[in-house]
Amino acid sequence: MNPAAPRKGFVPKPKALNCPSCGSQIELRALGAAAGVICSYCSSTIDATNPQLQIIGRWQAAMTIEPAIPLGSRGKLKGVLWETIGFQQRGINVEGTNYFWREYVLWNPYQGFRYLSEYDNHWNFVTPLQSLPSDSGPSKVFAGESYRQFQTARAYTWFVVGEFPWMVQVGEAVDTADYVNPPKMLSSESTGNEVAWSQGEYMLGTDIWQTFQVKTPCPPPIGVYSNQPSPYAGRVRKAWLFYGAMCALLFFLMVFFAILAPSKTVLNKSYVVNPASAGEKSFVSDIFTLEGKNDNVQVGLNADIANQWVYFSMALINEETGQAFDFGREVSYYSGSDSDGSWTEGGRTDDVLLPNIPGGRYYLRIEPETDPAVAGGLTSSIPFRVHIIRGIPYYLRYFLGMFLLLIPPIWTSIRAAAFEGKRWAESDTSGSTSSSSSSEDDE
Amino acid sequence: MSKLYMAYSMLVAGGLAVSSITGYSPFTPYDKVDGVPKSVRNNPGAYRSHYAGHARYFGGK
Amino acid sequence: MSTRNAICPNCGAEIRFRWSGAVQTTCDYCKSILVRNDINLALVGKAADLPIDISPIQIGTEGIFTDKPFQVIGRIVYRYDLGTWNEWHLYFSDGSNGWLSDAQAEYAISFQNSFTDPPPAPAELHRGMVMAQHNVPLYLTVITEAMYETTEGELPFTSYDKEKCHFADFRTGDGRFGTLDYSENPPLLFLGQFVEYDSLKLKNVKEFEGWPTP
Repeated sequence: MNPAAPRKGFVPKPKALNCPSCGSQIELRALGAAAGVICSYCSSTIDATNPQLQIIGRWQAAMTIEPAIPLGSRGKLKGVLWETIGFQQRGINVEGTNYFWREYVLWNPYQGFRYLSEYDNHWNFVTPLQSLPSDSGPSKVFAGESYRQFQTARAYTWFVVGEFPWMVQVGEAVDTADYVNPPKMLSSESTGNEVAWSQGEYMLGTDIWQTFQVKTPCPPPIGVYSNQPSPYAGRVRKAWLFYGAMCALLFFLMVFFAILAPSKTVLNKSYVVNPASAGEKSFVSDIFTLEGKNDNVQVGLNADIANQWVYFSMALINEETGQAFDFGREVSYYSGSDSDGSWTEGGRTDDVLLPNIPGGRYYLRIEPETDPAVAGGLTSSIPFRVHIIRGIPYYLRYFLGMFLLLIPPIWTSIRAAAFEGKRWAESDTSGSTSSSSSSEDDE
Repeated sequence: MSKLYMAYSMLVAGGLAVSSITGYSPFTPYDKVDGVPKSVRNNPGAYRSHYAGHARYFGGK
Repeated sequence: MSTRNAICPNCGAEIRFRWSGAVQTTCDYCKSILVRNDINLALVGKAADLPIDISPIQIGTEGIFTDKPFQVIGRIVYRYDLGTWNEWHLYFSDGSNGWLSDAQAEYAISFQNSFTDPPPAPAELHRGMVMAQHNVPLYLTVITEAMYETTEGELPFTSYDKEKCHFADFRTGDGRFGTLDYSENPPLLFLGQFVEYDSLKLKNVKEFEGWPTP
C-alpha cells in the first residue's frame, strides 16, 4: 500500500439533496445507491444516477399512503441489517375492482437491495433472482422445486415515495406473474423486452413489526395468502400414517386375542322337533363345562326347514348356581319363484353371541315353537342342530374401532383441504385442486 | 401429532383390548334370571322363558 | 506477485504495481492515467472523478473465490442508460485474472474465455436466443450500450482510448452467466457466475457511515 495515496475507505452520509423542483431537503438514506428518488414534498421523480439530478417527472399521486413501516426504519432479517428506503403501492384491476398491495425497498450497503411486499397484512421478503426459472408445463421450476402458477396480472403503480434502485416512472405498468410453492413464491415482472424474476418468502406481520420495532399495533392478516404456509402441512400425512399404524396395532390385537380365544366346542348335537306332537316341546341338553372365569358363548342353530319358521326360546342355565341366561332366536327360511325368477328369504342357520358368561357347569334348555299355520300340513319332524362354542374371537369390534379411528385423520384432511380451498379461491388459474372441490362437499 | 388425537386413539385401542380380555359388551341379547331350581333339569316344562310365546307376536310369511 | 516501483510523470508520486501484467494504471494522487511501455510510464490522460461511489469494494479489497484468494487491483466504471456499474479487476494468488462485477450490490465473478463456438454477430443478437459456449446453454437477457465513465488502478488493457462499448448479457438457469464484449473484434467472451456477498469473504471493504461493517 502506497502510504502517500489516501485510501478512501469510508463512505460518509451524503449531504441532503435539494429537490431541483421545489428545493426541499431530501434525505438520501441509501447514501447514493438509489437510482430513483421521489421528493416526498412535491412528488418529483429525480434521476439520482445523474450528478445533475435530472427531474424525470412529477408524480401525480391519486392517493397518498403513509407507509405502515416508516421509511428509515432499520431491522435485522436473516442476520443482515436492512433499512427501509422506499415505498410504493401498486394495484391490479380484476373485474372492475382494484386490489392494492404495498412494497418497501430495503437496503444494506454490502448486500444491496431487497423488498418487503405486503397484501392484506400477509408479508413476503423478496430477493431478486439472477437465475432464470425453467418451465414445467404451466409451472416453473427453480432450484429443484416446482412452483404452481397462481396469478397473472397487469400491475400499475399508484403511489411512490423514497428511493428506488430503478428510476420509477409515472404510471409505471408491468405484467406480473406469480407462482407459489408455500412458503415460497416466484414472481416475474415484464416490461417490454425485459423480464425480472424474484423469489419471495412468507413472513408473519408480527415478526416484521418486531424486526423493525414498529410502534403501531400490527394488524392481523385477512384470509389465506397465495404462498402462506398451511398449518396443516405435514399434518395430514402424519395423521394417516398414524392411522395406518393404529390399524396395524388393532389388527395385531385382534389376531392376538383370536389366537388366545379357546373356541372350544362344548356341545354339537342334533335334535328334532315334531310340530304335530301336542306334548311339552321343551327339553334340556347334556351338561357341559364352560371353562374360564368369564368369557363369551356362541350358540349356533341349524334347522332343516323349508318355507316356515321355527322359534327357539333358550336358556343357558348354570347347574350349580341356578343362574340362567334367557334368550330367544328365530330360524326362518322361505323360497319360491315368481316372474322375476327364484327367490329366498331368511336362512337355515342362526348364531348368537352371549357375552360375559361365568365359567361353570351348564346345560341348555331349549323350547322350540313351530309355525302353527304350517303344523297342520307338515307332520314330519324337523331336525335341527345346536352348536355351542365357548370363547370365540371378536372381530367386529376391531373393525368398529378402525372405523372410529378414521374420524381424526378425515377431520384433519377436511380442514387442510378447506385451507387450500381458501388459498386457491384467490387465484385466477382454474387450478382448483381436487382437495379444494372436496371441501365443498359435505362428508 | 395432536395430543387429543393420540389420547383418542389410545382410548379406542385400549378399550378394545380391555373389552377383548373382559369380554364386556354393552349389548346383551339375553335376560339374566337367577334362582333356577335344579328340578328344571328333570322337568324342563317348569321353567318359563321370558322369550316363549313367540307365536303371539309375529310369524313368517 | 512482483511489485515494481515507478514514478508518476505528472506529480512524482510513487506508483507501486501489484501485478506485473498491468498495462494501464492510474495515479492515486493526481488521477492521471498512465500506460506502461518498456521503459517508463506515459501520461495519456486524466481519470474522471468517480461518481457517487457507494460500492463497498475498493482497490485493496481481498477475498476468496472457489478457494482461491484474490486482491482487487483495478476498476472500470461503466455508465449505461440506467446508471453505472463497476467491474473490479481481480488478481488471484495463482497468477490468474478475473473480474468482479458490482451492479447495485449484485455481484458476479467472471473470467475471460476462448470461444468453443463462433459468437453471434451484433446484428444477430435478439432476446431469447441461446448461445452455447463450453457446453453451457446461455440465454440472452439484455443488450447494453455503455460508456467508460472512469477507471482506477491496474487494468490488463488500455481503456483511455475507448469510449463506447457494446455488451450482450446471457444467463442460465443455475446462476451462471456469460457476457460478450463487442468493444473488440472479434468480441471477448467472459463466463462466470453470480455470487453472494458473504461467499466472497471480503476483507478491507469500505465503511459506511452509520452502518456496521460485516
